[in-house]
This record gives sequence, C-alpha cells and structure tokens, in this order.
Amino acid sequence: MARYEDFYEKTLDDEARGRAEENSRDKSGTRGAMDMPMLILTLLLLGIGLIMVLSASFARAYFETGDPTRIFVRQALFSVAGIAFMLLISRFNMNLIRRFSMPFLLVSLLLLAAVPVIGTDSGGATRWIDLGFTTFQPSEIMKLAIILAFASMACKYKGKMKTFRYGVLPFAGILGVTVVLLMLEPHISAAIIIIAIGAVMMFIGGTKLQWFVLVGVVVGIAAFLVLTKFDYAATRITIWRDPFSDPQGDGFQIIQSLYAIGSGGLLGVGLGQSRQKYLYLPEEHNDYIFSIVCEELGFIGAMLILILFAMLIIRGFWLAMHARDRYSTMVTAGLTALLFLQVFLNVAVVTNLIPCTGISLPFFSYGGTALLIQLAEMGIILSVSRDIKIKKAG
Amino acid sequence: MASKKGKALQKANTEILRRTLSLMVVCGILAFIVLGVHLYKIQVRDHDYYEERAIEQQLRETTINASRGTIYDRNMKILAMSASVETVFISPVELKMYNEDPEFISRGLSEIIGVDYDSLMKKWEDTRSWYKTVAVKLEKEVADKVRAFKNDNNLKSVHLEVDTKRYYPYSSLASHIIGFVGTDNTGLYGIEAGYEDYLKGTSGRIIRATTSNGTDMLYTKFENYIDAKNGNNAILTIDANIQYYLEKHLQQAIDDYAIRSGGMGIVMNVKTGEILGMATLGNFDLNNYQEISDEAKQQLEGLTGDDYLKGLAQAQISQWRNRPISDTYEPGSTFKIFTLAAALEEGLVNDNSTFFCGGAIDVIGRDTPIHCWKHGGHGSQNLSESVQHSCNVAFVNIGLKVGAETFYEYMEALGFFDKTEIDLIGEGSSLWWDRQLFTNPKNLSQLAAASFGQTFNITPLQLITAVSAVANDGKLMRPYVVSKVVDDDGNVIMANEPKVVRQVISEVTSKKVCEILETVVDGGASTGRNAYVAGYRIGGKTATSEKVGQGMADDYIVSFVGIAPTDDPELAVLVLLDSPDPSTGIYVSGGIMAAPAVGKIFADALPYLGVKTVYKDEELATINVTVPNVKNMGVEEAKAELQKDKNFTVRVVGNGDTVTDQVPAGNVTVSKGTEVIIYAGETKPTVMVTVPSLYGKTYVQAKSALEAAGLYIRTAGVAASTTSDTIVVSDQSIAQGNEVAYGTVVEVTLFESDTSLMETRG
Repeated sequence: MARYEDFYEKTLDDEARGRAEENSRDKSGTRGAMDMPMLILTLLLLGIGLIMVLSASFARAYFETGDPTRIFVRQALFSVAGIAFMLLISRFNMNLIRRFSMPFLLVSLLLLAAVPVIGTDSGGATRWIDLGFTTFQPSEIMKLAIILAFASMACKYKGKMKTFRYGVLPFAGILGVTVVLLMLEPHISAAIIIIAIGAVMMFIGGTKLQWFVLVGVVVGIAAFLVLTKFDYAATRITIWRDPFSDPQGDGFQIIQSLYAIGSGGLLGVGLGQSRQKYLYLPEEHNDYIFSIVCEELGFIGAMLILILFAMLIIRGFWLAMHARDRYSTMVTAGLTALLFLQVFLNVAVVTNLIPCTGISLPFFSYGGTALLIQLAEMGIILSVSRDIKIKKAG
Repeated sequence: MASKKGKALQKANTEILRRTLSLMVVCGILAFIVLGVHLYKIQVRDHDYYEERAIEQQLRETTINASRGTIYDRNMKILAMSASVETVFISPVELKMYNEDPEFISRGLSEIIGVDYDSLMKKWEDTRSWYKTVAVKLEKEVADKVRAFKNDNNLKSVHLEVDTKRYYPYSSLASHIIGFVGTDNTGLYGIEAGYEDYLKGTSGRIIRATTSNGTDMLYTKFENYIDAKNGNNAILTIDANIQYYLEKHLQQAIDDYAIRSGGMGIVMNVKTGEILGMATLGNFDLNNYQEISDEAKQQLEGLTGDDYLKGLAQAQISQWRNRPISDTYEPGSTFKIFTLAAALEEGLVNDNSTFFCGGAIDVIGRDTPIHCWKHGGHGSQNLSESVQHSCNVAFVNIGLKVGAETFYEYMEALGFFDKTEIDLIGEGSSLWWDRQLFTNPKNLSQLAAASFGQTFNITPLQLITAVSAVANDGKLMRPYVVSKVVDDDGNVIMANEPKVVRQVISEVTSKKVCEILETVVDGGASTGRNAYVAGYRIGGKTATSEKVGQGMADDYIVSFVGIAPTDDPELAVLVLLDSPDPSTGIYVSGGIMAAPAVGKIFADALPYLGVKTVYKDEELATINVTVPNVKNMGVEEAKAELQKDKNFTVRVVGNGDTVTDQVPAGNVTVSKGTEVIIYAGETKPTVMVTVPSLYGKTYVQAKSALEAAGLYIRTAGVAASTTSDTIVVSDQSIAQGNEVAYGTVVEVTLFESDTSLMETRG
C-alpha cells in the first residue's frame, strides 16, 4: 500500500487522487461497468465495416483467387479475435498499463529500428514484419506507444510542462528518433500521423502554445520547400489539384475513387451493387473502401457512418474529460485523437480533399493486425471508462 | 507553498479539460462538417458528371452486324448477296494475362490463314491492345480451322467475330449499276451506295456493364440487347438476260471495230422508263472491284510509289464510272429525232415537204456556211429521205422553221436541261447555251448547229429518255433502275412506279416520228440498215459525233439509238462506241459500227420479251424453221408432215414404206424452203463434203453454193432483208475448207455491203 500511495503522491493531482481513492473505496477494489455508448458505437462500426469489406472485396477476391469470400472470412476472424482482445484489455487496470508505458515505447522503437533489417519489402518500402501467419507494421504499435509514453511523461512533468526542457525537449527527442526510423522505411503517412499525435499529446499535456506556433511555422516552411523542390512531392500536388492531368497514370486511382463516390449520388447504387469495385478502383477493400461505401450507400449512408465516427470521437473525448486521473485523460484523448486522425485523413484522401497518401480507415479497411491494434486501443478507452464514477452516478 | 502548488495544479487541471474540450469540438464536429460538405459536393452536386464518366468506362458495347439486303434483277435472279464470314483478331492483353505463347499462336495462325508470321509477331507488341485484326472476311472453312486451333490449344487471346461479305454471282455483269461495298460493308458505288439506307439494315448492340477486364460483373447483371434488323432487298428493273445481250454485243462491237475508249449502252422500256440494261465497257469484277484491267496495268508499268498509287486510283475511278449517266457528249445526228418531232408537232413540216441540199447552207450570224456531211449535197429530198440521209442542211432548214424560242422550249420539255433523276448516283449535268444567247435573232448559228445535234453536251441517258418520250406517245418518263424495295417477308417498303414527267408531243406526232425512223432502218437507201432484224419493225437513228475539244483529230463517238416495234414501241436501245480506231480501214460511222450492235441486241431481246414477229413476204421465204423428225413414219405421212406449213420441199429416195433416215436431221433449224430428203429403205450417204467460201455472196448465191455441196443454209439471228443485192454474207458458222458430214447446216451472217449508204457523219 505504501508504494501505491507513494505513486499517487508523486503523480496525481489532488482531485483525481481523491476521486480514485473514493472510487476504489466505494467499490471495494472492484471496477465499474464499461461505457456502453462507446462499446456499442465501436461494435456497430466494426459490424458495418465488416459488411463493407465483404461487399468491396468479393469481386477482386473472385477474379484473383476464385473465392469471393476469402478476404471477408479473414477479416471476420480477426474481428472476433479483436473483440476478445478488446474485452480482455478493458479489464486491465490503467495503473498496470501506465507502468508498462515506457518499456513499451522502448520495445516499439526497437521493432521499428529492426524493420529496415528484418522487414519485408513491398512496393518499394519496407514497413512490415512477417510473423508467419500474418504481417504487421511496427508503426501501428508505435502510434500507441507514443500515446502511452507521452501521457506518462506529461503526468510525470506535470508542473514543468510549460518549460522547454521538460515540456518540449524529451517529447521532441522521441518524435525525432521515431520519424527518422520511419523515414528509413520510408513511411511518410505514418510519420505524419505520429508527429500529429505527438503534438496532440503535448497539447493536452500542457506544453506552451507558443511552441506549437513556432513548430507550425517551421513545418510550413519545410513543407513549402519540399513541395517545390522535390519532384515526387510536386507531382502529388499536381495530381491533387487536377487528377485528370494523368488519368491513366498517377491520377488513375483518385479518378476511379471520385467516379465511385460521385456515382453513388444521394442514395447510392445499393449495398453490393458497386460497379467500380469490379477491378476499376484499386485497393477497393483497403485504403479506398470508403469510396465503395459512398458508391453503394450514397451521401446519406456515408454521412450516417461519418456521424457514427463523430459520435465515437465525441464520446472518446467526453470519457477523456471524465477520466479518473490525468494519465487516463491523456491516454483516452490521445487514442481518440488518433482514431480521428485516421478517419479524417482517410476520408480526405479518398475524396481528394488532400493529396494522396496511404492511410486506412479504422474498422473498415481490410488488415488483420491493424484491426487488432485498433480494437486494443478501444479496449484501453473502455478500461478507462470503467473507472469513471460520475457515469455510475449520472 | 502548498496553496501555490495547488493553484498551479488546479490551473493545469482546468487547462487539460479546456484543451481536450477544444479537441472534441475540432475533431468531433468541425472536421466532420468539412468532410460532409466536401462529400456533398462530389456525391450530390457533381453526381451527374462522375456518374456519366463512370458508366462510360463500365459499359462495353458489342455490335451485332445486320445482314445486308440482297439485290435481285427483275426476275429475282440474285445480283448481290451477303454471306457470313469471320474476322480473326488477337488480344495482346489477354496473351499476357493468360501467359500464352505468341510464337506458337503466330505460327499456327500463319499456317492456317496464310498471313505473314513476322507481321503477326509485331502485332503482339502493342501490349495494351485488346484487339488486333489478323484477317478479315474469312470463309467458313478457314474460320472453322482457326476455331479448332483455338479450342484445341485452349487459347484465350485468339478470337473470332462474325462479319458479312458481299458476293456478286454474275461478277462483272451490270457492275456499274449494282456497284459494290467497301470493307466496312458500306455501299460505295451504284445501287449499293444509292440504296445504302435501304440495304444496310440496322446493326444491333449488346450493352453490358463489365469489369475493367471486360468480363461480366458478378451478381450485378446489366445487359441491354438491341436486335439487329436485316437490310431490305432491292429488286431492280434490270433484266440479267437483256443486260447480258447488251454487254455481249457491245463487247463484240468493241472487238470488231477496235474501239479504243470503251462502249456504253442502255436498254430502256419505252412505256415505263424502266432500265432493262445499262452497261459501260470495259467493266470490272464486282467481287474484286479494285483489280484494274490489263491495259490499265500496262499503263502503270514503270511507275513507283506515289505516282503508282495515284495512277492506280485514277484507273480505278475511271473503271468504276457509270458512263451512260455520268458522261456527257455531243449527240450529233441522233438528235435530229427531236428537231423532226418539234417541227412535226408544230405542223411546220409534213410528208410533202421537200428540202434541197446543195452541200452547204448560210446561217445568220455565221461567217461561213454550214456544210452537210456529204459535201456534194443530197439534192432534193422529202422529209423521210432527209432523215434517212441524215442530211444536215435539211435539218438546219427544219430547225430554222421551228425557230429558236420554240426549239428551246422543246429541248426543255424533253428534259435536256434537267437531270433525269434516275435513282442512281453520279448523274451528270448537260451543258447548253443559255436561253438569251440561243434565241438571239441576230445569231442563229446555235440553233442551226443544235438542229443536227452539235454545240452542246448531254448524257446518253438523257438522249434515250427523250427518244423514249418521242416513241411513247409523247410521254416523257422518269427512268429508274429499282422497281421496289421489299423486306425479308416480302412487304413492300418502297416502290418506284412509272412516272410521267410531262407530255412533250402528241400521240399523232409520236406515231409519225416512229414511222419515219423505221424508214431509216428499213428504207431503201438509209443509214440505219444494219440494225434491221427480220420479223421486227425497228426504227432508229445513227450518229457519228466528233469528240469536240478533246484534241484528237478524226476521233469520234459513233452511236445508234433504236426503238422497236415501231407500231407500238416497247424497247429503246442506245449504243455508243467511243473512239473507233480509224487504222482498221473500216469507215467510222454509227451506221456501220453501232447499228449492227443495236440490231443484234434487238434480235436477242425482242424474242426473249415475247414480241411477236411479223415477217414481210420476202422474209417469209427465208426465215429459219425447224425440221420435224419424220424418222420411222410412213413415207406419205412424213411428206404430209413436212409440207404441212409449206416450209419444206420433199424428195424421197428409195422405195420403202417407212422413213429410215432424213437429211437434214430432225429438230435442226434451216432456212425456209429447204429441200428435205427422206430415205425410204436406203441409207443416207456418209461421205464428207468440203464447205465452200460464202463471203460476199448474196443469200441466194450462198444457198445454191451450199446445196451444190450437199449442205444446208440458215441465216444468223440478225438477218437483214435477204433480197437486196448489196446484202451479202459477212460470216459463216463453219469456215471454208472444213470437211463436214453430208447434210450439215451452215449458218451465215448477212450484212449491208453498200456502206456508202451509211457513210454519214452528220
């Protein structure tokens, strides 16, 4: 007990500690039920996503393997495993998770560093580690590790977050190393998300706003230079502004995506009735699954799904604001922000709102390990929700 | 300290909530509004734009070729028909997709079809293509072999496609009328082009939504099938037999008289305006329409590259030209028919009119007199004689009597200023003086020249149409070549009925002109005698026109236009021979060269059409009759049979009761009046006899020469009157000196030897 007290003395603010003590006292060590809206929204989106994987993938699966349900079955198996994994994690105490934050970061960094050495090559980039039965991207784990580690660090430095030495330097250092490792793969979209999520964590953690302004200016100038000086980036910008400038080459995928989305109209062509999935739109069950959603379910269906995501995100932040302690708040807000970033960037890319980059849509895009990690992250949020007292009272 | 620390912590506490709340608003609400608005723009505002393009790439259209209609002659003989053939194509994309061996496929295809292996290998190099044509219009036999090759080796990159090919069973017959189609089955010339809209049919389509590989979508079936509608069939007014007679005799004339620039001819139904035959020679094989004649090939020899291609194209275009409707010429003396008709209709001349020809005549507006073709002059002639002589001076006089204004109106009424509006493409326009110039009272030279058919250009079709009008009780008919268009079930889609354009002259005048024209063929000293066919009343007019302005001296188009029978005209025949070679020594004139051709065409066509023969008495003596078979009959019975129609005299050899043999044999055609020998108990001699020379002999002389040798005479289909001394044998069916069996029949061709009658260029 002494150690437990000590832990709280060092890290928690009074109010949170009081709440936690009250909570554990009241429940005599047993935890509350998980947040039902969060769980239901998660399962709902997962279910819809699974149906869409079936619809989007069966054409290509049929033409390329002969088995139209091949991709769907695999995703379904991962979904079941993922739900079990999520429920398991939701039972973990946040203190336990917190204790493993820094070691987890270390392991993730090592895995990330190992990728260029032992990773498998695909399409000119080395991003995956082959586990035999499946492959996974260490960058996915890295996102979670950054959230957990930054939350842990921000709680540790809580009073000194306004200083450069504590509030900026260690965070920037870890981000710098991570980004360098990611650029070795290279994996720009993961780097963008990790920088963004790191910034969100620092923002919530209390880093002075002036640093964000400063970094924002520096990033802006850097981005401008990259876009104007490097052909590769400049081409992407050109294609973004006018996909029809190269309809058979670089613009092909985004044009096919726009055809799918646009032909959906208000009400869509009907579930399962997409025509663009018939080998016109590449990655239709993967990064571009939302285009098929738009084609089949129309503007109304797509908006309903986006609203479900928005509700999930709002609920995530709501839970963050009501979490029992600072660490839980930061972790929940970070995970919710990560979810938001993936959803937003994915939809923005497939609708050509921003230049093309490879980001999958949580719960929808096909990918076993990514789904497992996403559900694990939901499990962490659910774990946080179980310690919220106000929920029980209200 | 504690409170200060607590205050700071309190501040950090509210800050984290404030910052989280701001994230909630930005991430949970604002960002989604941005996405929603953007989605709205794509899905709702620009929906049509994207949908249209998406559908465009998703739909594949396959054409189902319609079968092109058949072209028949008036008796439903097939002149043009379509048959299924197949196109073989390869798909380099599928070759790659299914990893097939291009060398193996190319070798196989080049062996079966006979296409070049290397050029086939080159076609595979276009790896983005789904469709590379290997061979088109393959017959079923070859296509089946390709199909077997494809199926045996399970080839996915080799395809066959059904197409149609046009066949012309009569090859070159009526080639300019029928026309032909290009490789895409679109009519390019003749009826094929003119009636394209009727013949082509409507191709069907299959519209399918497919995957980007062109295969069917799963579960999402979208297929729209629009049936092909076969083309309609055209039934022509052309009669393949008459067309054949026309082409045969034109070719004969071209060969006989060394015609250098080809011949043309038209056979028209006078009463309806239907074209029964229309020919341009040399013609070409419709099944191989790009092949040019050997002479044309010779001219191209030595040319290379562009010069050769240009020359080839020119040769092709000229051989495809339907000259009787497209070319214009100066008609010359045949045109006197219209001057005559106008003058008769106006009551300005009659049988009692006389015309004096001193060899030349002065005309107001001309410095020099107009000469008659016979510079010595024809002297005094009545109306018929003026026509028979084709006297220019007489016709200048007749034209001047008619007057420019009236003459011009007749020309207009006869349709010389307008196209005939025949239903063929490429009809040419005539070239005439304008009214003001023609009717200038101070200058009658145009009228004078036009009176005998000079100083203007018309198409041969215009001429025969106008001649038909004169012969057809004065009714000008619109000429046509398609009688009707019917669908496959026989429903009439379109029909051309005989159409009277206008009444030009009266029936009385028409009869009178026909009567006078008959004297041109059947008169004593007339220019058209070679067109005479025993048993038929034929009228006509010769012409020998200079090819004005074409730079060749002594270069003529000789022609003859005939009508028959003159008491109730049914057929009009026009033959033009372009540029006879004067080096043959044969006098170049329409009467000598074109009239026999017209006569032969009539001789074939009139019996074919069932026109009744009416023989003159002297002809009755020499017409051809068929010897009945009297073998095995009783002698008396046989004699009665042979003498029944007073066709034969009979001599009996032997004393038997029954006929054991006869000479000439039964069912052989001989001249009327032949002595038939019947053998009663005796056998006929089996000796061989020598055929004598008959050339230049009159009918009577030839007959006795043959009889002396134990042979028999028969006249050829074209037989001019056999009583005149100037009508002699020009040809015999068995050449002199040949040894033939006793009693053999020799056919002789008779011809007017007094060419001075026909040596007219007026």
